[in-house]
Amino acid sequence: MTKREVIYAVLEGKKPPYVPWSCGFTKEAREKLQARYGVTDLEDALQNHLLKLGSDIGFFTELGEDRVRDVFGVVWDRSIDKDIGNVEGCVLSEPTLHSYSFPDPLDPRIFADIPGRIAGFWDRFRVFQIGFSLYERAWTLRGMQNLMMDFYDHPAFVHELLNTIADYNIAQVNEALKYDIDAVYFGDDWGQQRGLQMGPKLWYEFIYPVLKRMYAAVHAGDKYVFAHSCGDVDELFDDLIGIGLNCFNPFQPEVMDVAALAQQYCGRLAFHGGLSTQRTLPYGTVENVRAETLRLLETGQEGGYIFAPAHDVEGDVQLENMLAFIDLIQAQPGYRTS
Amino acid sequence: MGILDDLRQSVIEGDRDRTQEFMKNAIAANVPAEEILKEGLISAMAEVGRMFECGESFVPEMLIAARAMKSGLTLLRPHLIAAHVQAVGKVVIGTVQGDVHDIGKNLVGMMLEGAGFEVIDLGADVSAEMYIRAVIEHHPDLVACSALLTTTMLRMKDVILALDEAGLRGRVKVMIGGAPITEDYAREIGADLYAPDAASAASRVKELILGIDRP
Repeated sequence: MTKREVIYAVLEGKKPPYVPWSCGFTKEAREKLQARYGVTDLEDALQNHLLKLGSDIGFFTELGEDRVRDVFGVVWDRSIDKDIGNVEGCVLSEPTLHSYSFPDPLDPRIFADIPGRIAGFWDRFRVFQIGFSLYERAWTLRGMQNLMMDFYDHPAFVHELLNTIADYNIAQVNEALKYDIDAVYFGDDWGQQRGLQMGPKLWYEFIYPVLKRMYAAVHAGDKYVFAHSCGDVDELFDDLIGIGLNCFNPFQPEVMDVAALAQQYCGRLAFHGGLSTQRTLPYGTVENVRAETLRLLETGQEGGYIFAPAHDVEGDVQLENMLAFIDLIQAQPGYRTS
Repeated sequence: MGILDDLRQSVIEGDRDRTQEFMKNAIAANVPAEEILKEGLISAMAEVGRMFECGESFVPEMLIAARAMKSGLTLLRPHLIAAHVQAVGKVVIGTVQGDVHDIGKNLVGMMLEGAGFEVIDLGADVSAEMYIRAVIEHHPDLVACSALLTTTMLRMKDVILALDEAGLRGRVKVMIGGAPITEDYAREIGADLYAPDAASAASRVKELILGIDRP
């Protein structure tokens, strides 16, 4: 079976020959692996099963002094967080879109490398990525505290903002569907360490109907829907499945019972993630990492699971801990013979 | 309902306009400033905290309640000063060096203000040296450190060590919190207090500093 076929099996709730994986690393963690493997391109060393396509979090203009501007006009300070950065200022200082224009969703740069990437990694499962896909895009434009209060102060504006973001995403999805992709991944963060940031009442009022529209656009093209939300959001799984979610990431073990959920949802919702990035990877021993990895591989052996650390591995993780899980996933008997 | 009940309810509901209206009414009715503070504002924020802790309300509700409380407090402040009403304690708060995530820290600050504390907010990316300078300048009862990342939570230990080295550790309590923080980590680095969220932070600080039991 190709890697692509293995992921198809996982998403369809069938038993795969082994547990597939797709692991991400931040810049600092990646540099440790690049030095270890002696290569700059880690694709061959990692053998990830998901091929990421599209622009994910978009394109940036360098502004100097560790600052970049994204296509939405948001300035990011990358002096500390070097991968994504932190929002500086507030693009939508007032609760209105009247003087704001969204960027071009069909910017050719978003789609330019799709044919080449698919040709180069033809055997992998192709996922078109849209990062900051809704709530996060809204708060990066409006400011998180402003947006939280706008839910009550300016609900019509929040509906308009979220729907305009969705229109932008759906235009991208429709263009991406012209390529031979397998899924669309919507990145967003609704959760916190305990429960939803905005609570279920506001999530169902503002977020849910817009997700429903975006997921429907993907299913209209007969593709799978992947979604990411950090935090304790498992209360939403049944309703997310109801509107077409097929695979959930990051499956954080600090905030949800990964083994129980994998069993509960097997055949209905696949999970991607699961390895603790808040505790085991930065603070555990190699043996701790091996033990947790083996537990996860056992959890996923019947299907419905794609292994990964529950976040891009941060720079505070020792190389030995990264190699511990990489070696184990690649040593699965079914992988070598598949 | 009495005027303070109305005031309290308007804060809980995050209705800033009504909070200001009821605050003006309470002041005009010569209700003692300390009574307005305790029965109208602090009591309301304690209820907001309780609702947050038991999952009846969330961050947006806490934010609009805190905003209403602050708008009322602004009107009340001159009357508190005139009546020589002191804050129940003083807290220096910040997000530790290398970390610029501040919403959790802001929420904790708001809830502590709502509990009657004076809060000196040092902002985000705060070095151990900045905490030390603030402790020397403001003489707080508590230093509160926030971090969102596993890469930055280690800086919390630096703050405690710096307080030790400066001979200030005996003067202040230290509270830590943030997504990756645990009770065990707080114990390991010698913090006095850990809180899993903003609401419990306020109630635990009251318990520690004022000896007031949580509801």
